[in-house]
Amino acid sequence: MSEAGTQGKDLGLLLCNVCHKVNSAHLSHCCRCGEAISERDYSSLHKSWALLLTAAILLIPANIYPITTLVNQGVVTQDTIFSGIKHLVDSDMLPIAIIVFTASILVPWLKIIGLAIYLTAISFHLPIPKRLLMGGFHIIEWIGRWSMLDLFVISLTVALVNMGQLLDAKPAPAATAFALVILLTQLAAKVLDTRLLWDRLELEHDAN
Amino acid sequence: MQDDAVDQTVILCRACDMAVRKRALPSGVRALCPRCHTALYDTPYCSINGMLALCVAALAFYLPANLFPVLELHFLGSVRTASVVEGAMAVMSLGYWVVGVAVLTAAVVAPGILLLSILGQILLIKAGLKQGWQRTTYEWLLEQHGLLSQLTMLEIYVISFLVSAFQLADFSDIYFGVGTFCFTMLFLVTLFLQREYNLEHMWSYLDV
Ligand SMILES: [Zn+2]
Ligand SMILES: [Zn+2]
Repeated sequence: MSEAGTQGKDLGLLLCNVCHKVNSAHLSHCCRCGEAISERDYSSLHKSWALLLTAAILLIPANIYPITTLVNQGVVTQDTIFSGIKHLVDSDMLPIAIIVFTASILVPWLKIIGLAIYLTAISFHLPIPKRLLMGGFHIIEWIGRWSMLDLFVISLTVALVNMGQLLDAKPAPAATAFALVILLTQLAAKVLDTRLLWDRLELEHDAN
Repeated sequence: MQDDAVDQTVILCRACDMAVRKRALPSGVRALCPRCHTALYDTPYCSINGMLALCVAALAFYLPANLFPVLELHFLGSVRTASVVEGAMAVMSLGYWVVGVAVLTAAVVAPGILLLSILGQILLIKAGLKQGWQRTTYEWLLEQHGLLSQLTMLEIYVISFLVSAFQLADFSDIYFGVGTFCFTMLFLVTLFLQREYNLEHMWSYLDV
């Protein structure tokens, strides 16, 4: 086992991001898959911030505006993500309400707040335990996909329920905003070179 | 791009760049990075023939899963059905193409391409990967694999037709269709296929 804290860059080794082969650091391209390799991608931090801020702004219309429109015997009701969940609770479908609440409210908010903490910690060298940050990051990557649940449900409902004035369901503007939030937060986590967290905070540690 | 004299028993953590010496693992055990707990490697248990069988089975379920109705709605004597593809098309035709494209990509397109890509990889391995074009194609398929498996969200779709069924049960009678069975089978077989599949191990076929 190597000594604790020894990094590839100290040993003159470089990991290929595409095929995960360990390369010698003086190569410019991976010797197995030919992909360009670099020690660290510092620009990834800015890209990730930009994507995250856009997502955070879009999260506001996604929650304020209605996400579905329902016509039931001529009566038009528009539901936001939140009021939709409230209906589920009112109609005694608590387990379903919890699933939808987790996928449509909890996951997006946790993802945006979590990624913001993560990026702030790297950018401003915050003294937050790195292991905690990395653990949170893995959870964010894993749960992020579950937000798609609401979009799937909307598409099925819209296809099933179209009977004119009697009963009709349609998506409403927040649906697009919500889809973009999912896309942008997934990208923000994807583009980030997480090795930066360990480098930058390491310097902080050494300085103390 | 010659293979430099890099010590191949050292691997680097892709999340924090920590250098770890690789050891033999008992089967079913996964090595985690000692510093940030990212999964490093596990013993590959992919059997090529097993994967081929799962892949063919998944492809057999693919078309019926996407074309047959996953939900049926009985309302005042009329019967409405919706398949996965129809759901995506319905929101798109109402102008919510971002939502439609997201649903279509996550539930139909990405899973389909993923299965075809794995089938292609298996056939190329069986062909021996001797010719130049075989290696180039194989490399290209492996490079796309990470993105494709991230875009594949069959498990979330399975939950979504349960949620839709419960939500609509308020207004009308809901029945599951043939498509529901095929889609659930597609999800299960793909789940086992992805457990069997090991990207790291697939890359190592290019080393010999
Ligand atoms: Zn490579
Ligand atoms: Zn690590």
